Amino acid sequence: MSKVVEISPTTRHEGHSKLVLKVDDAGIIERGDWLSITPVRGVEKLAIGKTMDQVPKIASRVCGICPVAHTIAATEAMEASIGCIIPDDAYLLRVIMQCANRAHSIALHNILSLPDMYLPGTDTKINPFSPEEPVRSVAKRIQRIREISQTIGEIAGGEAVHPSNTRVGGMFVNVSPRAKAKMYDLAKEGLALARDQMEFMIAIFRNYQKRDWAEVGGMKVDIPETLGYHNQGYMATDPIYGSSSLDENPTWDISRFNEVRPWDWYMGEMEVTDDYPDYPVGGTTAKGTKTWPQMEANTGVPLYDGQPVEVGPRARMVTFKNFDEKGTIGQQVARQMEYTDSFYKLIECLDALNTNGKVFVDELPTGDGSLGWAANEAPRGSDVHLARVNNGKVEFFSMLVPTTWNFPTCSRALTGAPWQLAEVIMRGYDPCVSCATHMIVVDEDQRIVAQKLIQ
Amino acid sequence: MVSDNFLGNYASVVAARSTDKSILKGAQDGGIVTQLFAYALEEGIIDGAIVAGPGDEPWKPVPVVATTVEELLAARGTKYNISPNMQLIKEATRSYGLDKVGIVGTPCQIQALRKGQLYPVGLRDVPDKIALAVGIFCMENFPYQSIVQLVEDHANTKLENVTKMDIGKGKFWVYTGRGASVQLPLKITHKYEQAGCHVCLDYVSNLADVSTGSVGTPDGWSTVFVRTKNGGDIWAKAIAAGCFETKPMDSVKPGLDLVTKLATEKITKNQKTLAERATFGVGKGLRNPYI
Repeated sequence: MSKVVEISPTTRHEGHSKLVLKVDDAGIIERGDWLSITPVRGVEKLAIGKTMDQVPKIASRVCGICPVAHTIAATEAMEASIGCIIPDDAYLLRVIMQCANRAHSIALHNILSLPDMYLPGTDTKINPFSPEEPVRSVAKRIQRIREISQTIGEIAGGEAVHPSNTRVGGMFVNVSPRAKAKMYDLAKEGLALARDQMEFMIAIFRNYQKRDWAEVGGMKVDIPETLGYHNQGYMATDPIYGSSSLDENPTWDISRFNEVRPWDWYMGEMEVTDDYPDYPVGGTTAKGTKTWPQMEANTGVPLYDGQPVEVGPRARMVTFKNFDEKGTIGQQVARQMEYTDSFYKLIECLDALNTNGKVFVDELPTGDGSLGWAANEAPRGSDVHLARVNNGKVEFFSMLVPTTWNFPTCSRALTGAPWQLAEVIMRGYDPCVSCATHMIVVDEDQRIVAQKLIQ
Repeated sequence: MVSDNFLGNYASVVAARSTDKSILKGAQDGGIVTQLFAYALEEGIIDGAIVAGPGDEPWKPVPVVATTVEELLAARGTKYNISPNMQLIKEATRSYGLDKVGIVGTPCQIQALRKGQLYPVGLRDVPDKIALAVGIFCMENFPYQSIVQLVEDHANTKLENVTKMDIGKGKFWVYTGRGASVQLPLKITHKYEQAGCHVCLDYVSNLADVSTGSVGTPDGWSTVFVRTKNGGDIWAKAIAAGCFETKPMDSVKPGLDLVTKLATEKITKNQKTLAERATFGVGKGLRNPYI
């Protein structure tokens, strides 16, 4: 006899979501739905009719943790639509922003993941706010990595949160030689810290992997070896940066993509049949509460080859580096491995950057309504934006954001885990629910069908 | 520390001028701003300064981030029209990559700077990167078109030929490269003033680290107020390094009395304007930013 447990809201990730879980008598998830309950802000709808210059600045506001991804993806979708190739030094500045933002984002996610983990060799969970060692120096290192990354992002991108320097056609300004030197020094310091932090985090996750149980709200829960396993595919466009329809060989295939409604993918109306007031902090949803994932989910469900896929660090590692570890810990480890890559790439770009180079195109086309797309490998995975620009105005805009891709995939990955660890699996995806929640849903004939859900 | 109603808080006031002849050559008065920034730049106290550099049109300033003494020298001389120096305050910490920013400004610009430091709205990472704020005395400013009008029409002088402008001794002075000079009574200039200046209650840049201006000291010299601890430290080091020649304020003519007199006039007059705004309409008034 299966029971229904609901964790709402979920914590230690960006945005507002919940977990609706059908569990068996032993508390093992038979089928789980993880869904966004963040209000739809409708960026794609309101973009229509606005200029190609303002839409990327609006799209940036979808998320303040990975604004660089949305700024770059939206800007490059416009550039792809109008057929504009930006100068090399503008491209390098964008990659620098990208790498800096990724390092900051991984470090921030460390803070969110650590409280689930144990100090190796002990049964003590890690409180990143603890003033005690060794946690204190780790927290300080994380903050320094973030400070370094945000400062670099600020110099190259104009602003760390919602970069101001990008524009359709390149960048507003190049940086001064002093600014380049400053980014260099910071990147060198960041690389060393990131390596230490990576090793520390991997050790922490490996320790969790070896454990048999974890404690959640006073309940001792067995950790399955297959925690977070799923059989969905992976999708990634680049190890670091991205791809666009302007590329000679684009690494994302629009013909393999389709988006459906939550209706087709989530569970129907149910009643919560079990509750646990001790679940930290504040307990699970009260018995008797009605829940309806199909109707309540505030995202579309993007499919690649007709299936939900996983995107993110592991998807990149699997696609480009033959990484083969499945499950939540594999995912976390893959994320840490991107730490040093971000800084190496950053330093490589700084080496190549000419501070006297041109950063804006000589002539900016205004577009004829062609469809263009750009994929940016955001910290959380492939962020694909599609646009049609005609005479400088946006006619169509769509955002396929990493966490949107991961929602149904992660839901499948919940199966087989004790319900108490559902959030641990979810955090493996580093969810960004504000990112995920934006909405135009089309059916198989590419007609917009989800408006009734939005209303 | 002196706390004056019209001259603000200050630790000391002196008459001073730069000891560097090449700076003095193109300076408006004693070359204080250029010399202080040049010293701070060379000593690493600042790594760049926002100054009013030359623009595309004659005598129309454009804010620039100067990181060399040459760029500082190019910004010498008063341009009597708007230079929005605060425009670059954030950018200086971004693509210019500065950690220690110097800025020169009129009283209102120094107010903007201090407000930005205390209430940084959209000014992330700016407050802690301000290393030296030099304020200049300011009675009022003009839009560029006003200067065109005053110089070209009232003073009958081609703007491109002008080598210096000066407001002093009750006159607006225009000097040309060929040696001619024209003086206009200030009465003529009044209608060309920027209207926003009429609610300003600060004459000697009360909120700067160091403020300087021509009034109170003889030609070629400047009156210098040293106000903050930061300003005092830098000023003392610059004096020790032999950057400035100084005289006690009470040994020069016309002295602090004239500064106080003009400050009192400006503030009293503008306070009246502010008071009038409250009853500007019938049963309603205009906004007062001070309340």
